[in-house]
Amino acid sequence: MITMSYRISGGDFDTAGLATRGLKEHLARVGVGAAVMRRAMIASYEAEMNVVIHARTGTLWARLESGKLDLEVADEGPGIPDVDLALREGWSTASEKAREMGFGAGMGLPNIRRNSDLFDIETRVGRGTRIRSTILLAESEKDTAPADSACSRILAVSAEHCRRCLRCIFSCPTGALRVHATGPSVISALCIGCAACIGECTSGVYGIAEQGAFQPPAPGAVLVVPRGFLSGFPAGGPERVLAALGSLGFAEIRVLEEWAAAVRAEARAAAVAGNVPIPLIPPVCPAVAALVESRFPSLIPNLGPWLSPIEAAGEEFPMRSVFLLAACPAQYATIHGASLTERLTVLNPARLSSAVRGALSAPAGADRLGLRAPRGEPERSPGELAVTGVRQVMRVLASAETGSLPGVTMLDLSLCDNGCSGSPLLSADPPLSALRWQQWTSGRTTAPISDAAAVCRGKPWSQRPGVRLDPDMGAAILALGRIDELARTLPGRDCGACGAPSCALFAEDVVVGRADSAGCPFTEENR
Amino acid sequence: MKLSELALKINATLFPAAGERCPTVKGIHAADTMSSLIANASSDTLLVTSLNNNQLIRVAELMDAPGLCLVGGVQPSQELIARAREAGAAIMVSPWGLEETRRLLAACLVGKKQGRA
Repeated sequence: MITMSYRISGGDFDTAGLATRGLKEHLARVGVGAAVMRRAMIASYEAEMNVVIHARTGTLWARLESGKLDLEVADEGPGIPDVDLALREGWSTASEKAREMGFGAGMGLPNIRRNSDLFDIETRVGRGTRIRSTILLAESEKDTAPADSACSRILAVSAEHCRRCLRCIFSCPTGALRVHATGPSVISALCIGCAACIGECTSGVYGIAEQGAFQPPAPGAVLVVPRGFLSGFPAGGPERVLAALGSLGFAEIRVLEEWAAAVRAEARAAAVAGNVPIPLIPPVCPAVAALVESRFPSLIPNLGPWLSPIEAAGEEFPMRSVFLLAACPAQYATIHGASLTERLTVLNPARLSSAVRGALSAPAGADRLGLRAPRGEPERSPGELAVTGVRQVMRVLASAETGSLPGVTMLDLSLCDNGCSGSPLLSADPPLSALRWQQWTSGRTTAPISDAAAVCRGKPWSQRPGVRLDPDMGAAILALGRIDELARTLPGRDCGACGAPSCALFAEDVVVGRADSAGCPFTEENR
Repeated sequence: MKLSELALKINATLFPAAGERCPTVKGIHAADTMSSLIANASSDTLLVTSLNNNQLIRVAELMDAPGLCLVGGVQPSQELIARAREAGAAIMVSPWGLEETRRLLAACLVGKKQGRA
């Protein structure tokens, strides 16, 4: 075991970060890999800055032993009165000086936790705080990113509601769900945040993790919602919902479909110009993009180089406060992964729905709060294929991967039935919601046509980490052989009794250590 | 794309890091908080920010970032430039604001101009 320790001086922004720099030099000397190094640097720097910003003095210890790196930062500071609050993204008590330097965004502790395999915080008001972060080397060396995906952190799982009906495990397009005796669990690296499990579960096990109560917006704020939200209230049509949103303080309401149409139009032009891989997949649905990155990596070059509609909407109003209603965990993850600034807020549909229901009695306004109609979609060319719904999208991507979609130039895909407005988080009955929207718009004067723009991506698409069996090709091949061997001894019923959606995935779980071979009740030895 | 090419394309001034190396950039991350910058930094990501202080160099150094892009034509102090050189990070100064710089750099990296759809 190697132990290193560094002193940290509170309030000294000039030397701040030197302890972490010292740690980096030591870790590099003992040969710590890039993935662990990255996580260690983020966790250590954030913990060190906590001491500099809030405490008089502190110490950073790092212990490296076989299989793990333990970081511990103890300070003599004011302590934290409410740890849950301090762990919430955006909560901070940093001084004005620290904020001016770019600290105090309330992301320090969440960043440490996100980059730790084990995280613990111990605090006493008036005495100080001790933060412990453990990074498992064996796990981390296998990949280049934190062990969990942003989507899985946003997906809330209430295990106590589970009736073990197993519908969720069969609905998940990436095989990320398991239901064992202890309840459902998510293999975080595989979750793409598509909301299929939320739509499938009738017991309310799955949802969006709490993001705090709805706070009234600042004056002049813009709200961007899928139009299905405006027509998703049986107690009131879009007119009443718009009035309710106006009474809640929003100055302008825009529909997400404006930016979806802009991305499609851009993709259409690129496909016609012929300088992109065919079939081109515009990233209209961020869950589809994540699905391609995890299950269909050979199609990554086919993903169009634009931001998803919700990201583009966030870019549209640089000088205003913007509220984005996320229709699925993937949209949440997309926004949280982007350059979040103070002017952007992501809303939980359940929270906003609850606020709207309480305000539906507001008098209907004569105007439409700036609502615009998405630009008209030109008639699809014979080369465009539009597909929605998990099963159909999986099928068409499999065909694209094998090159069996001759003549198709563009794939317009969405994992929710009928696009974002069909999200199970927006309405219990999407077809009725669509009808309400159609009835409302057909009886109205035409809204101004949107000038929403597609926005180019800064980062290229890439294969999602954590999906491969092993980063080492030889080790992965060996694991694959063992999975194949084990799968041949299983009954092939794909019944789900073991908690996995198929015998092949159960075999994989056993080989990678996620399950015990005794989990299958139908093998000879377990009968 | 080479950092020097990017600087040229957006009309930015470049203060290169020590040595002959001109790093290649594959992505950018724009933010005005340190937590966001460090959480998204990598060895091929250019960090774009409206901040201007020595802690930026520390973040670039810890995360092996190839460079920092300051915005709004803000001139970095000699001390900042010197520290960046020591840390092996280039400094770029964009005449544009944060959002505009991000858009322009993103458009350069995907090889086409961004425009209205």
